[in-house]
Amino acid sequence: MYFAPLPYLDPGSGSFLIQLLLAALLGLGVAVRASWTKIKGWFGIKPKNDNEDDDDEAK
Amino acid sequence: MTTKQNNGQTERSGIQLTASFRDPNGFLFSRGGALYRQVNRKYAREYARLMESGLYAKLVKAGLLIPHEEVNQAPAESETALKVIQPERVPFISYPYEWSFSQLKDAALATLSIQRRALKLDMSLKDASAYNIQFVRGKATLIDTLSFEMYNEGQPWMAYRQFCQHFLAPLALMALKDVRLSQLLRVYIDGVPLDLASELLPWRTRFSFGLATHIHLHAKAQLHYAGEEVKPRRGTMGRQAMIGLIDSLEAAIRKLEWKPGGTEWGNYYDITNYSDAAFEHKKELIGAWTERLKPAMIWDLGGNTGVFSRVAGKSGAHVVSWDIDPTAVEINYRQVKDEKNENLLPLLLDLTNPSPALGWANRERDSFGERGPADITLALAVIHHLAISNNVPLPRLADFFAETGKWLIIEFVPKSDSQVKKLLASREDIFPNYTREGFETAFRKRFKFHEAAEVRESERVMYLMERL
Repeated sequence: MYFAPLPYLDPGSGSFLIQLLLAALLGLGVAVRASWTKIKGWFGIKPKNDNEDDDDEAK
Repeated sequence: MTTKQNNGQTERSGIQLTASFRDPNGFLFSRGGALYRQVNRKYAREYARLMESGLYAKLVKAGLLIPHEEVNQAPAESETALKVIQPERVPFISYPYEWSFSQLKDAALATLSIQRRALKLDMSLKDASAYNIQFVRGKATLIDTLSFEMYNEGQPWMAYRQFCQHFLAPLALMALKDVRLSQLLRVYIDGVPLDLASELLPWRTRFSFGLATHIHLHAKAQLHYAGEEVKPRRGTMGRQAMIGLIDSLEAAIRKLEWKPGGTEWGNYYDITNYSDAAFEHKKELIGAWTERLKPAMIWDLGGNTGVFSRVAGKSGAHVVSWDIDPTAVEINYRQVKDEKNENLLPLLLDLTNPSPALGWANRERDSFGERGPADITLALAVIHHLAISNNVPLPRLADFFAETGKWLIIEFVPKSDSQVKKLLASREDIFPNYTREGFETAFRKRFKFHEAAEVRESERVMYLMERL
């Protein structure tokens, strides 16, 4: 394995780029889920209450 | 929130605490035995948003953020100051390398839950340090009120890397490799380096989406782009993408479970060598003695799953229940949650090598000793491990316990006890002074004896002593 000199290596750039990549992908998932919930809604299927963040107690 | 009036406040100095020195937005300082946080003018907009958007109230109500009061104290550095707040005092500061698996997991989930609530009100956590989380009333709570920044859609999560290093990597290692790897956090103060985590994790974790991406791929990207300058472009990460990222991290964390090999949770510590009568007698003595002393803080050293910690806790004290066994600490913490116990904190500690002072100039994280002394130390069925297994002479044990607490409730376990016989079975008996008389002589040099009681149906003796 190759190790570059440690003091000049900033893991920040890689973290930043991978986050953008993953987030784009995962955001798509959120969008798909949201539309799916909407479609199910037309057929009268209500989503489970997943709004835990508005509960008084966090899980 | 109310504003406390402290009229006649003339003292202007304050000791700035080193754990918060990195933050330009404010810092902690102590004055007259009380703890304050100076909020700098630089942080005025963010502080106003936190308080006025309702985020503060929501988080405090959910037990996710430490409550504070704005106080009329002189700031410690007036040139930069906006105001001074007094956060509720955390009974005991603990660190991630002292937490059991579920404690770290709950701290991780609390962090994500806070970020989710913050996003709804256009704020975002700018750090995701495990050290910003403390256990308050039994719950993982953010103690850094200045952790929030404005959220502008398009910006990535500043704390993503830190979250992976402080939470996801150690939890994955604990769950999927070995629970003792939590101790890597003691070496790496900013969390487990992802390339190290990636190397240590089993190969199969590359097939789990969460770990494959947030750890393995993340580590690869860090290595690949190291040294390259990345220009952040605005509008590159929408709100939905941000929520997708948080969802994914949460799913990855929730999926991680740890079950200690071959043991059942329920009867883990049922195996003792003494009778029910002896057990009940011990409980009675501890109950009566702690009740009498009205302590505020008790340390139970070698507390196992916390049976006697709970008895001691009936005195109304906060009890920290320390044990070397990650399984015992885990069981204890699960029980704390089940019974909604607000005064008991189980923590992991090797008494023969307690948590050292760590971080910049060794002043960021306090050592075990620096966080004491307690009002009472409990040392039940622990002295034979220290004196015989670890070869510490009795006078040195007396010195040690004189530092951990003002009062000591200690159980002497003689050589004739079957547990001690077990310890001596594989070694030469080089402990001629390890007798009741030897013990009393050593401890009388540092303590005044108040009570001594032979435990019924056993050869053990319980003592209540006060340090000289």
